[in-house]
Amino acid sequence: MQGSSGSPVPFGTRIYGVSEVSGLICDLLDDTRLQGIWVRGEVTNYKNHVSGHRYFSLSEQGGRNPALINCIMWRTSASNLKFTPEDGMAVLARGSVEVYEPHGRYRLIVREMRQEGGPGERHLMVERWKRELEAEGLFDPGRRRPLPAFPCRVGVVTSPTGAAIEDILSVISRRYPAAEVILSPTAVQGDGAHNEIAEALRRVDGLVDVIIVGRGGGSFEDLFAFNHPDVVRAVAACTTPVISAVGHEVDTALCDFAADLRAPTPSAAAERAVPDRLELLRDLAGQRDRMETLLIRRLDAAGREVEDLRARMHPRRLTRRINERMQRLAEHEELLRRAALSRVQRERSALAEVRARLEGKDPLAILERGYCIVESEGSIVRSAGDLSPGDRVVLRMKDGRCRAVVEEVDHDRDV
Amino acid sequence: MTETFEEMLGELREIVRKLEDGDGSLEESIAMYERGALLVKQCEDLLTDAEIKLTKLGCEP
Repeated sequence: MQGSSGSPVPFGTRIYGVSEVSGLICDLLDDTRLQGIWVRGEVTNYKNHVSGHRYFSLSEQGGRNPALINCIMWRTSASNLKFTPEDGMAVLARGSVEVYEPHGRYRLIVREMRQEGGPGERHLMVERWKRELEAEGLFDPGRRRPLPAFPCRVGVVTSPTGAAIEDILSVISRRYPAAEVILSPTAVQGDGAHNEIAEALRRVDGLVDVIIVGRGGGSFEDLFAFNHPDVVRAVAACTTPVISAVGHEVDTALCDFAADLRAPTPSAAAERAVPDRLELLRDLAGQRDRMETLLIRRLDAAGREVEDLRARMHPRRLTRRINERMQRLAEHEELLRRAALSRVQRERSALAEVRARLEGKDPLAILERGYCIVESEGSIVRSAGDLSPGDRVVLRMKDGRCRAVVEEVDHDRDV
Repeated sequence: MTETFEEMLGELREIVRKLEDGDGSLEESIAMYERGALLVKQCEDLLTDAEIKLTKLGCEP
């Protein structure tokens, strides 16, 4: 039976000690190409040891050849770090590859590390901008202006191809299609987006009654342009009130703080920008009902007055007061005729009812009974005091008019 | 229509307020009512008939 050791090692073959092999590897890796180099990668498995040394890996994922290098940053180097590394952070690390023979591993000994345009660095930048812009007073709540109740034109500063403009158009056409939407198109992300957004704001400012600036949700990076001081200052400089709607519920950007109103989404911004027509139509119906109620009440009072006059027109008093009474009746007649006309136009059943009631008491009927109306210079004469001898008057009767001249005027002191 | 919705609504509210005050003659009240009813109609038409209009600003002003 052969042992599991297999065939014997041929005679004369060199047998290496572990330390010898390890030494050879050390020699191979002691290459200037692996010394003092900059490596780009993503931090993973980051551990801040109690000793102060940092243990982590740099990885490159997603490519054709995923790769990983173990790293150590000694505490003396780590004390110079300008940021707190986290898993997932993109970094540039400077160091040298060395072999740790006791463990048979090679590692990148990192002397220096910078965050590569990553969120951490940008977050810090946003924090700094925020302090600066706040110090300039751009976030002062006292700067905020009220929005117009009924905007005729709504300016929208966003991407012409994004979801935001679609959402805004859909909300406004449902709620208040009387408004015109003026899109001031701009890129909302990428290099130079902040310049474009600021320019688009300036272009639409003053042409509209309210401006919505924003975009739909995205990563911190996607929303980054809306933090830029150029955008924030452009928002603050607008003479037109601005609603800022960047991202979704939880996202905020610095331009939100400078706007007159912050909305959680572009749709919500559109809802705040325009009133709801269903509410307005309800309000209008309420106003119309109120007017009708008030007018009916007024007409009822007038009708009662006519009725009262009629009741008081006793034959014995007619000779004294007929002119005044007739004038007043004629005046009411005129008004009620107009009221009836207006109700016909409205074709409202409530009013039609009143009309029927009032027409039943048509003051014109009184002319049938032999009375007449005195008019002078186109208006009804209410009082004998309004007439002087020599005045020309018109007497209106049931079937015509006649012109007359006043001979004498007697005043009734007891009326 | 030269008047804006806001102007018409403002005038309508003023009319209702005057009618509530009961000032003025019956004749004036009727005239105000007629004007008010016209305003309501115009406001309703504006809200129900309107179609949203989209204008895109050119990149070169």
